[in-house]
Amino acid sequence: MKLIHIASALALSAVIGAPAFAQEIDRPECVAPAKPGGGFDLTCRIAQQGLEKQFDGPMEVTFLPGGIGAVAINLFNTTRTDDPNAIVAFSSGSLLNMAIGKYGQWGADDVRFLATAGTDYGAVIVRADSPYQSLDDLMADLEKDPGSVVMGAGGSVGSQDWMKAAILLKSKELDPRKMRYVAFDGGGDAIAGLLGGSIQVYFGDVGEMVSHLGTGEMRILAAMSPERLPAPFNDIATAKELGYDAEWPIVRGFYMGKDVPDAAYDKWVEAFNAAYGTEEWSKLVKDKGLLPLNLSGQEMDADMKKRVERMTGIAKEAGLIQ
Amino acid sequence: MADRIFAGVLLLVAIGYTIIAFTVIRAPFQYDPLGPESWPRILGLVAIPCILFVLVRPDVETFGMPLRTWGRLAALVVMLSGYAYLFQPLGFILATIVFCMALALMLGSRIVPALAFSVGIGLGGYFLCTKLLDLNLPAGILTFLR
Amino acid sequence: MDAVFSGLASGFAVALDPFNLFLVLAGCFAGTLIGALPGIGPINGVAILLPIAYGLGFKPESAIILLAGIYYGAEYGGRISSILLNVPGDAGAVMTTLDGNPMARNGEAGKALSLSAVASFIGGTFAVILMSFFGPALASYAIHFSPSDYVALMVFAFASLASLVGSNPVKTLLGAVIGLMLASIGIDANTGVPRFTFGIPDILAGIDFLVVVIGLFGMAELIHLVEQQAAGTLKTLKIDKSFVTLKDLAFVKWTILRGSVIGFFIGILPGTGASVASAVAYGAEKRAATDSSKFGEGDMRGLAAPEAANNASAGGAMVPMLTLGIPGSGTTAILLGALLLFNVTPGPLMFTQRPEIAWGLIASMYIGNIALLIINLPLVGLFARLLTIPQQFLTPLIAVLAFVGVYSVVSNPHDLYMIIALGVFGWFLRKLQFSLAPVILGFVLGGLFEDNLRRALSISAGDWTILLSSWNSIALYGLALLVVVVPIVLGRRKRNRAEDEAPKAPA
Repeated sequence: MKLIHIASALALSAVIGAPAFAQEIDRPECVAPAKPGGGFDLTCRIAQQGLEKQFDGPMEVTFLPGGIGAVAINLFNTTRTDDPNAIVAFSSGSLLNMAIGKYGQWGADDVRFLATAGTDYGAVIVRADSPYQSLDDLMADLEKDPGSVVMGAGGSVGSQDWMKAAILLKSKELDPRKMRYVAFDGGGDAIAGLLGGSIQVYFGDVGEMVSHLGTGEMRILAAMSPERLPAPFNDIATAKELGYDAEWPIVRGFYMGKDVPDAAYDKWVEAFNAAYGTEEWSKLVKDKGLLPLNLSGQEMDADMKKRVERMTGIAKEAGLIQ
Repeated sequence: MADRIFAGVLLLVAIGYTIIAFTVIRAPFQYDPLGPESWPRILGLVAIPCILFVLVRPDVETFGMPLRTWGRLAALVVMLSGYAYLFQPLGFILATIVFCMALALMLGSRIVPALAFSVGIGLGGYFLCTKLLDLNLPAGILTFLR
Repeated sequence: MDAVFSGLASGFAVALDPFNLFLVLAGCFAGTLIGALPGIGPINGVAILLPIAYGLGFKPESAIILLAGIYYGAEYGGRISSILLNVPGDAGAVMTTLDGNPMARNGEAGKALSLSAVASFIGGTFAVILMSFFGPALASYAIHFSPSDYVALMVFAFASLASLVGSNPVKTLLGAVIGLMLASIGIDANTGVPRFTFGIPDILAGIDFLVVVIGLFGMAELIHLVEQQAAGTLKTLKIDKSFVTLKDLAFVKWTILRGSVIGFFIGILPGTGASVASAVAYGAEKRAATDSSKFGEGDMRGLAAPEAANNASAGGAMVPMLTLGIPGSGTTAILLGALLLFNVTPGPLMFTQRPEIAWGLIASMYIGNIALLIINLPLVGLFARLLTIPQQFLTPLIAVLAFVGVYSVVSNPHDLYMIIALGVFGWFLRKLQFSLAPVILGFVLGGLFEDNLRRALSISAGDWTILLSSWNSIALYGLALLVVVVPIVLGRRKRNRAEDEAPKAPA
């Protein structure tokens, strides 16, 4: 596959005979490393709409599905390493994949993190008629026998959805390998499983609960955020204040190829910084079900790398990697 | 005979598949009762007897094709691969014109109609898809189209 | 019930606004064009045209109505290439090729196209009606369908597919296993372990369904055409002016109704969509037919059943999305995304907070169905003419359409090589008298079967009795037994009767 990419790149440059990639941002593009319609698509739409005023032309959103981002990171490490036009959407799931080596040889040092779109946090959710009134009730059962509660989420074992459950168990020194975890195909199916009674506890995101908050069908036992979230989530207790050291932020943002010239990188950072302050940006982020998190440039790059490091540690403890 | 050759190749693939299912595929720790390996193992163990049955009792004797037809089909696959190879670097328009020309000529068209058809499909298809339907097709070396 | 009627009335007031009405028609037309490209079905059609709809700056309800029109158009457009070219337009249209294409070959392209339009219309309208009146009740049934019930549904699906057996049952079984094996490639959905990927990133997430369909059907058909042409047995068809008649419709009316019911109920289950619905409807119809010998050679019932089912399932998939905010299928996930883009949060609250959008959308589905019929019936003759293009041009055109369909969605040149390889493989299978339908169905059902079996066993911590723990499952296993046993009994009884009693031929 790589061969084909290289071959086509060679053919391309041979045919054009000129520098294939200009140093100017003349065709801004956001690559969503998935099929249309998912979270990455939404992340790219934030950049597309939020940066509308920062560039002359409209930003294009393109799709590059495959391997939950593996195809994209591969492409940006082989042929498009210095493409000044393209930013790639990523999430905490991508960071986790980097942390546990799911992207093969490519890790956090092979990309240049650019800016965040927003953030979300893990949430522990049960059905409205569940016997678990509080996180303590649930944890008491889990402490007796980690295998006694059927839990589920929209991702596989070792995915970031599974990690939410794993770190919650870890906070009481329980073995995540002993839990009964059911992997569904996406959050929608998992919510259906919770409402239908197949699973007792669902590990979701705070943001996706917006549409369910007023319906009285589900109860959020705890948010996995460092502190209380703004309205409409201000009534939800954090796992931390309940005495469980379980935090799971879900960041959404963008990276670029690692050889992108500083001039272009800085221009992108400027564009994001200019948008961050505006009213439209915060509304946009909120409308897409995210909470504000404005980080860009070097600071953001360092922060992401720190997160990857921390995830590697958790994954090791949970027995996912040696 | 034809059946046997095909089944023979298929058997090798199925054996490889089954061996991988029994040796390589393993979860970091046993987590669900079946694990990632059970399903492929079952499939492999069903596939192999089926293939053996076809090997022992084949029902298609020959492909019934003269050598000339084989040549044509090989040419078609080469053309398709060439089309795939040139699709991105050369761009939709040029790659399509070249491919359509080649295939139409092989199928017995005369040069002028083939040329008219190919150029029509290349240009018409590109503008219909990119401008009207907003599909993403490569512009290739005709960069001014972007 | 009153709330439904007043809601519908307000919805129609929105949808019948002249501008919105124009948008539904325009959307249906654009959707038909884009859906006619092999590979681009409703999911991708809506996803691709979504940014345009957004960029036009319409009011949210207008934009959503436009998208609903595109959705319906693409849904219909998909069958055009299935029937005319034997290249399925999208996942749900695979079964349409089985009898639709033979009809076209027999000089009944016009009849096949118009019949499928009518069947789609009935299936779609049936689903929308059930949805508007019983939506919430159906949704709560759908979410109680547990992973072990899905396992039973898969067993039932495979049992009804036993009717697809060709001349050699072992080859049919092997075909299905090949499909299941293809589906096992990629990251395991339960544990995240990659299987049979050999480190190639492009297949980490599995082989895309479209790539398999376009490869095995479309490219194999292309190779087949060139082979026939070389052998001199290929003729360009004459213009056919056939059209569906009332007598035809009377013949298939129960087929359409059965297809609609099956399609709708499979559609409302989150996780199963048009491809499963149409496959089960086809299999069940063939099983139910007293004389099934014409199936696969252009039997109208074999076309009407899957067509009614896949449109009904598209409507059914809307139920969990609108009532619970849970996307039931790929397409509804896109529509959900579209609603979010317009700052509308789908789900139970939408009906109280943004009734004009919720009911406007439902009303536009009624209108979209009708618009589809009005737009497409006159175009039948035009599309049927596609077959009169001389073969030396039609053949390259099929290749170009397949390439555009596969490439334009995800722009990965790797997929182009995949369809060629799968095409060669599919051609060999065809040549050796394997039927391709079991391969595709194995591929569709494989992932669902394995994932749900493992989910069920995770829930029960390895206790297999969970598979028989609900009435849903027991009923489905009973039905599965029925579809296998009844035809055998009937067949035996028939053989016992006088041999010269000619089977009743379809009208």
